[in-house]
Amino acid sequence: MQLNSTLELYPDYTVTQLLFKDVKNAAELRKNAMEGLVQGALITPSMIVDPFQILVASNKAVHLQKTGKMKTRSLFSEIIFNLSPTNNISEAFKRFGISDSDSAVYVVLVYPKEDAVDASDIVSKINGQQIPVDTISSLSDAAKIKKFYKVSPQEEGVGSLLDAVICRMAIKDVM
Amino acid sequence: MALEVENAKLPYLSKCRLIKQGAEARVYRGTFLGKPTIIKERFSKRYRHPVLDEKLTHRRTTQEVRSILRCRKAGISTPVVYFVDYTSHCIFLEDLEGSITVRDHIASSQESGRDPVCLNTLAEQIGKILAKMHDEDVVHGDLTTSNMLLRQGSGDAKPELVLIDFGLSFYSALPEDKGVDLYVLEKAFLSTHPNTEELFQRLLKSYTQSSKKAAAVIKKLDEVRLRGRKRSMVG
Ligand SMILES: Nc1ncnc2c1ncn2[C@@H]1O[C@H](COP(=O)(O)OP(=O)(O)OP(=O)(O)O)[C@@H](O)[C@H]1O
Ligand SMILES: [Mg+2]
Repeated sequence: MQLNSTLELYPDYTVTQLLFKDVKNAAELRKNAMEGLVQGALITPSMIVDPFQILVASNKAVHLQKTGKMKTRSLFSEIIFNLSPTNNISEAFKRFGISDSDSAVYVVLVYPKEDAVDASDIVSKINGQQIPVDTISSLSDAAKIKKFYKVSPQEEGVGSLLDAVICRMAIKDVM
Repeated sequence: MALEVENAKLPYLSKCRLIKQGAEARVYRGTFLGKPTIIKERFSKRYRHPVLDEKLTHRRTTQEVRSILRCRKAGISTPVVYFVDYTSHCIFLEDLEGSITVRDHIASSQESGRDPVCLNTLAEQIGKILAKMHDEDVVHGDLTTSNMLLRQGSGDAKPELVLIDFGLSFYSALPEDKGVDLYVLEKAFLSTHPNTEELFQRLLKSYTQSSKKAAAVIKKLDEVRLRGRKRSMVG
């Protein structure tokens, strides 16, 4: 049910994505994440269009870590920051990080292959039902995403919402 | 300092297929996060001062992706940008698989003597997309028929026109800059495709009909043409 991917540019790394619905302990999870007790990024699924969006954010986070150009403190916070179309860090956390009232959570783990991180540790912390990540569209809020990423109808005429989101994530450093 | 600007080559490129070696950039085909991807790598020019070279290369990379996004926002088709590596100056773009350049399309249409109506429609399509681009104050900087792709739509929808190669683009509202943009295209168009004067006129007509600001641009185009002719007469 989880999705494991390799990054072509950093073949020594693995990205694992997991998705949960009917989550009862979002507040506790968020607290744990703030205290650094979670070795992963906890994201609010309503802002995610497709697992590809997570991969783009993860690849960029590893790239910025390797080149010493991260804007935040950890690889996991960098993934959350990279999802945002703006360069405002606190806004990125507010929008894309899990919030206390969330009833679903998207978990992203990024680790060197040889570390073979065991996802069961994090799975056991989440009081909710795990579902396949490719069902994300059932939890995403397209209207909210369009508004936050400022996607116009004209732009949707030449590509998908995912395309619009990916372009902004990729280019925001020079906007 | 000077040593730092020596840019490292991205190891992954050795696994990709080189499809074009240009004067300023190499274009590769590969995959990125599982998707077919075009990678455009700008490399340094030995003869340029390293610091200046780095600045120029960086500017072309950033300008390329900025203009792509500005165009997409306005409803002009350009490839999706997946990732930009400012260290190795690589842009990862959506691969428009199965597309052909407008250059190849015109050449093969002329060769096979196919329906000229199709080419007329294409010329009109080009005029329209360029008018839209200029109305957004994007000046392409390198308009040629190789920098326009045709992507076959699903079913029998007419092929979609996609603009690429924005490395020399910049933002300007000046009719002069837009006029020069069209002049560059005219030169390239007429020299690449023989006997297309009429076709190009169609393109310009469509441009004029599509943009409210066209009159000033075409006036500049006429001036630039005249200047070009005078210069060539002087030698
Ligand atoms: N996104 C794409 N999808 C499919 N083919 C592409 C794409 N981008 C480029 N190509 C192909 O590669 C060729 C060269 O690309 P491009 O024009 O961007 O580079 P270039 O001309 O070398 O750049 P420059 O003029 O900056 O040196 C195009 O003519 C086209 O055939
Ligand atoms: Mg080109």
